[in-house]
Amino acid sequence: MIRHRLLSILLLLMLLFGWEWVVRATNLSALVVPPPSDVASALWNGLISGYLWPHIWITGATTLLGFLLGCFIGFASGVVLAECEPLRKIVWPYILAMQVVPKLALAPIFIIWFGFGMKPTVVITALICFFPLLENTMTGLQEVSAEKRQLFRMLGANRWQTLIRLKIPSGLPVIMAGVRVAIVLALVGAVVGEFITGRDGLGASIIAAQGMMDSTLIFALLIIITSIGLLFYQLTLIFERWLLRRWSKGKIV
Amino acid sequence: MSINRDFFTIDQVGYSFSGGDKILSGIDWHIPSGSFHCLVGRSGCGKTTLLKLAAGLLLPSEGQIHIEAAPVAGPSQKIGFVFQNPALLDWLSVMDNVLLPISLHRKVNETDRQSAHELLHLVGIADLADRFPAQLSGGQQSRTALARALITSPPALLMDEPFAALDAITREELQDDLLDLVASRDTTVLFVTHDIAEAVYLGDRVAMMDKGRISLNIEIDIQRPRSAACRYGKQFSDICQTIRSAMSRQVVK
Repeated sequence: MIRHRLLSILLLLMLLFGWEWVVRATNLSALVVPPPSDVASALWNGLISGYLWPHIWITGATTLLGFLLGCFIGFASGVVLAECEPLRKIVWPYILAMQVVPKLALAPIFIIWFGFGMKPTVVITALICFFPLLENTMTGLQEVSAEKRQLFRMLGANRWQTLIRLKIPSGLPVIMAGVRVAIVLALVGAVVGEFITGRDGLGASIIAAQGMMDSTLIFALLIIITSIGLLFYQLTLIFERWLLRRWSKGKIV
Repeated sequence: MSINRDFFTIDQVGYSFSGGDKILSGIDWHIPSGSFHCLVGRSGCGKTTLLKLAAGLLLPSEGQIHIEAAPVAGPSQKIGFVFQNPALLDWLSVMDNVLLPISLHRKVNETDRQSAHELLHLVGIADLADRFPAQLSGGQQSRTALARALITSPPALLMDEPFAALDAITREELQDDLLDLVASRDTTVLFVTHDIAEAVYLGDRVAMMDKGRISLNIEIDIQRPRSAACRYGKQFSDICQTIRSAMSRQVVK
């Protein structure tokens, strides 16, 4: 385990040194590919001077807000559609159509509706997170075995109890898998949403850096975005492990 | 409760799927309180359907079923149902699984926990109360399911091949424990199985079902309490032979 960790760090160092060496040896313009050392110092300066922090906060907040909003609405709609079959049959074709529409293509109309800034980006992010939650919630709730449903009927459980005590708990692992997909998509949605709608945030900063032909800053921003993504993903994973701690008892993980 | 009173009264019961396929027809069966009746038959002969009708999970298309003289109109709280699959909830401990029939309807109190503990002791898994289903063997899961069915002290048990997935030795142990439990509580049992020897060992009467009809219903005149020795007696094997040959005859024709 530790050996693999060491080897993967070694691989990263080799790549970085190779990159640095190739850029210096070939005298490649920093505009095309900046050397890692420049990217590192741009990153350091941006963090030290405080220039990057507001953007980090805004993108982080947009991602989280959109994620929470999308997950909540997706979960609630999934429960309603799983429980109400006629409604599911009526609205499913439209939900499918909505899912196929590239959400980012809706950005211009959201700008007209909500103005520039955080609001349209949050809405786009929420829309992107909505579908994995909707689908996984519906799947999770419908996968409950016939015998367990019959057991609850025999025990005289009403519909609400069957939902709360049986269907949601037994669908929770599938639902949480949807949450894990959603958190990754949320960051992508927020950053790309900022390309189009934002004046602030990491996505908007990338566009601004592009305008100034500052490739070094773009790379530095990419590193920050990746770090935020990894951080959010790990936090989701920890939350999932905590939430499902009773489900994994005795199972070989 | 008088022994001669019928607990289940099944009169001229038939059942068809909504498509019109007839599953059961002309079933007449009276099961006196406190008696242990078994139903054998091949897969797909309709025995599980009859069990579900008796439970109130399905309603008959023809005829009527009464439980203690009251017509069955839905799942009855007087019945504990044991499924083929133990149908335990993975996220609850053994103790909480056993207490589920109570916790669905009211807050669990100390007396309930006490009686759950006694029941777990009777089915031989008192030391596993805090384990989770995934940590149990198949036999231990079946024991948990049995304890769950008995926690509300129902006057009757309906069992759908509950030991079918277990190895022969474990199955025999569970059969003996089941006989002790229901004898001490004077529980009425309808036990469905495809194993003739199991039916003969457990039952006061054994009925055989073929193509949706009861084709044989005989009294098992082996003295109680029964023990492992009687499984190998002449009387036992003669009865098994009678049932077995009745079953073959119908299939050849």
